[in-house]
Amino acid sequence: MQIELDDAEIVRQIAAGSAPDAEAELFRRIAPRIRLYGLRHLRDEQASDDLTQEVLITTLEALRAGRLREQEKLVSYVLGICRLTVLGMRRGAQRKERLLEQFGPDLHPAFEPAAPWLDGERLARCIQNLKERERTVLVMTFYDEQAGADVASFLGVSEANVRVIRHRAILLLRQCMGAAS
Amino acid sequence: MSAEDTGAHVRCRNPIDAAVFADYWLALLAPSDEEAVELHLLQCDPCAARLREVISMAAGVRKIAHDGALRMVVSDALIQRARSEGLRVRQYDVPAGGSVHCTVTAEDDVLVARLAANLTGAERVDLCLCDESGVEQRRLPDIPIHAGGDCVVYQESITFAKAAPDSTMIARLIVLDKSGAERVAGEYTFHHTRTIPGPGPQ
Repeated sequence: MQIELDDAEIVRQIAAGSAPDAEAELFRRIAPRIRLYGLRHLRDEQASDDLTQEVLITTLEALRAGRLREQEKLVSYVLGICRLTVLGMRRGAQRKERLLEQFGPDLHPAFEPAAPWLDGERLARCIQNLKERERTVLVMTFYDEQAGADVASFLGVSEANVRVIRHRAILLLRQCMGAAS
Repeated sequence: MSAEDTGAHVRCRNPIDAAVFADYWLALLAPSDEEAVELHLLQCDPCAARLREVISMAAGVRKIAHDGALRMVVSDALIQRARSEGLRVRQYDVPAGGSVHCTVTAEDDVLVARLAANLTGAERVDLCLCDESGVEQRRLPDIPIHAGGDCVVYQESITFAKAAPDSTMIARLIVLDKSGAERVAGEYTFHHTRTIPGPGPQ
């Protein structure tokens, strides 16, 4: 039977040295979450993969060196590294090659797909079944990438109202698609 | 906001709503709220899964809209967006009371009709789609009206139009007053000729 480690135990084992299982578990656990952060801030799958590797490497270095003493701060630490790394990537700073050379092929966490597959035909039916304004808000927001003020202007409502319509539309769409929760 | 424990697992004590994730994805949250969401996401798999679902839904909406597959009232900005993406937009401008002979070709990506009407001051406008006898088949209630109130741009599903046989469709813009009384602001007749081979009558 496999017993799952909590974050504190993972941090402790890695800091104690030579803990490949704990390191693998850390990768498995946080790599997809870091990648999500990357998708949100970088809007690019490849760049998100690069971010994930950099953050994992930096975190692992810190853990191996025992620099992260307060295990419960792991999440805050990772978030901080994510931010710094995104800033660095945006400035075009490239530590990647050197780090990859150093750590090489050990670092290939199995990434989850960015997003689950959706039944496109069903989604189209669900969108078509929304009220006109709900459909308009979703399309203008997600396809046309219009700011809330522009959507509000087109619909003749307030920005706050656009937000309410968008939230309701997402709720209805998820219900129509049979979302789990 | 936190997951139930500090590790891998599975139950979330304070799940974040999908609508909040949509705002997060759209960068609409205040910085402090965004930080709280990100800290939560880094320790909560169920919420991370929900965010992925929202991302997937957003991508799906984008693709379906890009494919011109929706019947809806659209903005000029959306048409410009389609053109800027290299999509071929077929547009028919129709005056109130007018009719047009129309078609789509295999090369068309988006099909829109600009329906001219005086909608100034209208509080609610419905778009009715009728068969050739004028019998209402579908109604889009409370549609958005262009600033200036001089037209409505209706997008027909390009998927539907490409497969449709020769046919006539009548569109009506209906203005409703506060009492619910209806007034026709414009009627538009489309004589569609099929030019793409396919199953069914020509």
